[in-house]
Amino acid sequence: MLSALLLQAGMSLTTARTPAGVGGPVSGYWPVMVFFAVAVVFPVLPVVLGRFVRPNLYGEAKMRPYECGIDPTTEAHDRFTVRFYIVAMLFLVFDVETIFLLPWAIIFMGDDFSFTKFALLEMFFFIGILVVGYYYAWRKGALEWA
Amino acid sequence: MNLSFAIPLSAPDVNFRLLLPELILSVTGVVVMLVDAFTGRSQRRATATLSLAGLAATAWATLWLWPSAQGADTRAWGGMIVLDPMRLSFTLVFLIVAALTVLISAIWVEWEGLPAGEFHTLLLFATVGMMLMASGNDLVMIFLGLEILSIATYVMAGFRKNDLRSNESSLKYFILGSFSSAFLLYGIALVYGATAHEVSAQPQASGALAQHVILAGTTNISAIAERVNDGLYPPLLFAGAAMLMIGFGFKIASAPFHVWTPDVYEGAPTPVTAFMAAGPKAAGFAAFMRVFLLAFPFVAASGQMRSTGAQLHDAWLGALWILAVLTMTVGNVVALVQTNVKRMLAYSSIAHAGYALVGFVAAGAADSAHQTDAVAAVVFYLLAYAVMNLGAFAVVTLIARSGDRRTDIEDYRGIGFDSPALSLTLSLFLLSLLGVPLTAGFMGKVMVFSQALGEGYKWLVVIGVLNTAISVYYYLGLIVVMFFRERTTEWRAPRIPTTLAVVLVLTVAGVIYLGLFPGRVINAFRAVQPIAVSSLR
Repeated sequence: MLSALLLQAGMSLTTARTPAGVGGPVSGYWPVMVFFAVAVVFPVLPVVLGRFVRPNLYGEAKMRPYECGIDPTTEAHDRFTVRFYIVAMLFLVFDVETIFLLPWAIIFMGDDFSFTKFALLEMFFFIGILVVGYYYAWRKGALEWA
Repeated sequence: MNLSFAIPLSAPDVNFRLLLPELILSVTGVVVMLVDAFTGRSQRRATATLSLAGLAATAWATLWLWPSAQGADTRAWGGMIVLDPMRLSFTLVFLIVAALTVLISAIWVEWEGLPAGEFHTLLLFATVGMMLMASGNDLVMIFLGLEILSIATYVMAGFRKNDLRSNESSLKYFILGSFSSAFLLYGIALVYGATAHEVSAQPQASGALAQHVILAGTTNISAIAERVNDGLYPPLLFAGAAMLMIGFGFKIASAPFHVWTPDVYEGAPTPVTAFMAAGPKAAGFAAFMRVFLLAFPFVAASGQMRSTGAQLHDAWLGALWILAVLTMTVGNVVALVQTNVKRMLAYSSIAHAGYALVGFVAAGAADSAHQTDAVAAVVFYLLAYAVMNLGAFAVVTLIARSGDRRTDIEDYRGIGFDSPALSLTLSLFLLSLLGVPLTAGFMGKVMVFSQALGEGYKWLVVIGVLNTAISVYYYLGLIVVMFFRERTTEWRAPRIPTTLAVVLVLTVAGVIYLGLFPGRVINAFRAVQPIAVSSLR
């Protein structure tokens, strides 16, 4: 709601200055700048205000790390498995593949089919390289959970 | 806002011949990766041999391309890849660095029981990245090459997973490297914006009514050079060039962007340090020089007193002068007080980046006829540095033993007469790094300094020579420690394995050859005399 309003305001500002639509380097960025200002003020303001409003009461119980209301039993620096990280990496690989496939699907015919054959072959090479990477991860045991 | 229009698509001029070296090495990298995945742990030799074969094939392809690098306009892939002497000579330097690193790492991989296949794969991909940095004629291509190189190097720096220093090195390199990449990327974006031109775009078949006029900049280096004088937003161009300079300054470890270097070089496994000091630095220079010499050249505009191009050229040349002086001085002065050999060599590598920057300044000031000479001098300097640096690090690797335990200068105390082969070769490399006549380091310095003198940079050369005088202290200091100090602790002379012996023989031969007969190499790099090239083939 607010963002839409700001965008409107920014756009009208831009169009008012450069009717041709070809603005200077800065004026086109007005909406972004307004967003930036709001983004800075929005999180900082409550913190600063809170300092003046809140009561300052400290006790031993309050200084303990919060763990769902239960008394902490272990150190916070605990080891956890890195498998999630590897899975996330693998996901990223295939996610990026899709990112490349999408614009490729739109432009690979070009204006006159002049590089369609090349684009088609090239995409198979690209997927082939990804498959090699997938196979590598598989062989190296990245997909075994236990 | 309607964004559904596009600049007409043009078919990319596919030219696999121009990309042959990169293609061969990429395929080798993938094959090494598959061999690693499908064989057991006995593949150490296999992947090393395969990598060396791939590097040799790539070198052959590079030499095969050499004659066609002269003269004619050789660009392909939509102007993204260029074929010129600068690219090919840098490519050769990278290949030499990679091959020597494979040989140096052989012993280390065995000591530590590391997955060699992974290491070789990463090394090959890093080399591909370096080659793309040298061959890219487009800021985007250069950035891609840089990232291919950087990501592989981040992993390599942390290759000793159980060592905290190695982890720290990797993490520091990653954070600061990403930071500098961001600078570079921002610079590219600003340059793109600054070179904006109005382009009439074809409306897509449906939807749009009339022809739109949109603004489009360029990231192509030759196109930027054509537009520096009539871009729409000159101030952005200056800001973009400054950002690019910071980004590349990080990669070549020039002061004041050098702070990551000592920590990263100290913590990384020694063979990786050797690689990082020689390879990525040279790759940084390749991209740095291509972007600044070719995209922001001195362009005088008719009818104007001071064109944007001329001002920009003045600005970056002045900044580079300061960068060169700072880099030389900081590197040498701080190296004086180091107690760790790897740290000392790290600061020495900073200082050497400074000497190479002297040649870069000369190349920037030179007219196009002399520019190739100055560029060739810088490449020669980096080649000489790579050879002597890799040799020195080979000895350091052997003395450090597994786990990089002995890297303090104290550990070198009095080893001179017990291990004469190691200490004499190390002394030769140190003398060459210092720049004693008859060594490669001397020839390299003579070349860059004479280029700078030829362009009238007297003070720069004076500062460079003074810095060389400072560096006498720490290079000779290590030699003194090795030969003229009593050893207090026990010393068992390490057996020199075959691969390392090969490295030492090659690097010693290289240091002496480049020091005595530099003519052939420098002529090939300059690529003005086809006779020299044909004899090199």
